[in-house]
Amino acid sequence: MRKILCALCLLLVCASPALAHKLKLFVTGEGGQVVGSLYFAGGGKAGQLDGLVLDSTGQVVARLRTGDDGSFRFTPPDGGLYRIRFETADGHMAETSIGTSAPSLPATSAAIPAAVATPDLDAALARQLRPLREQIDALESRARLSDIIGGIGFIFGLFGCYAWITAWRKSRT
Amino acid sequence: MAHIPDGIVSTPVLLAGAVVAAGGIGLGLRRLTPERLPKVAVLSALFFVASLVHFPVGLTSVHLMLGGLAGLLLGWAAFPAIAVGLILQAVLFGFGGLLVLGVNIANIALPAVLLGLAGRGLLARPALAHPAFAGVVAGGGAVAGTALMVALSLALSGREFQVGAQALAITYVPLMVVEAVFTAALLGLLVKVKPEALR
Repeated sequence: MRKILCALCLLLVCASPALAHKLKLFVTGEGGQVVGSLYFAGGGKAGQLDGLVLDSTGQVVARLRTGDDGSFRFTPPDGGLYRIRFETADGHMAETSIGTSAPSLPATSAAIPAAVATPDLDAALARQLRPLREQIDALESRARLSDIIGGIGFIFGLFGCYAWITAWRKSRT
Repeated sequence: MAHIPDGIVSTPVLLAGAVVAAGGIGLGLRRLTPERLPKVAVLSALFFVASLVHFPVGLTSVHLMLGGLAGLLLGWAAFPAIAVGLILQAVLFGFGGLLVLGVNIANIALPAVLLGLAGRGLLARPALAHPAFAGVVAGGGAVAGTALMVALSLALSGREFQVGAQALAITYVPLMVVEAVFTAALLGLLVKVKPEALR
């Protein structure tokens, strides 16, 4: 039992800069275009993968293919809500929605007075902010140490409760 | 991959997975005697963190599963242990969807228990095979079984079986080797220093 506990601790140490093995999709609007990137959380870019753009009724509007760096871009036919969906052959899937009409496009112009906000400036800002937003997106999917420790604690607590209940039942009979 | 996300498998597969998972957990809970509880808890925690240990394979990476080890040490009790680990992985790390939990539990735990029991059978006959071989059977076999079940789940949901199986083989064959070696090494150690842990 002690050996197993040691192995557990060792795994925990190995795991600290934890990588999550999960397909992630980042999408943002840039000018009139929708740009995005597809990657494995904490890992490499998912290049040369086929994806679909679906409209709100589930009709295929466009087909996408990521470049070697996992990026893609397309011009939506018109405003509205679209779903972008990528799938790999071994059962990974990433899906996200994006509104391309002006108000629901992940807006970066909220703090800028309307008089200053020209489409050019909007697009430039969106471009500048994109790496930052991508970074935040990637950070969110990282397994945090607190989650790992919390999970282990939860498991021991759960089985502890089970042991408690069985012991209690035993003592009553 | 072993952790199928939501929106991939069809409803019949979801239901079948849920039934298998519930049945396996029920069987496992019956064998969960108070004396075995700590061992089950430790292996559940081990299974939970094992998914964070990654090995790069090509563009993506694979992570340890240790299902075979759990099956070997716990038998049917591995079912609830793996189920708890998978639920927490889904909730805390977002590995795999919540709706497909039944399918994921069945895909990982069923081969783990069956090949773990096969490994135990080998362990009980030391004349027949070296203990390390039992580890290879349980560790490597469980990964292969899981790959097969994932490919089947995808195929039954209307995807090409061969395409899925080929894509899975790329990542699962290296994982099979890693897991076989790891399980064999750990089992060899346990047989030598703590044979009672295998009871």
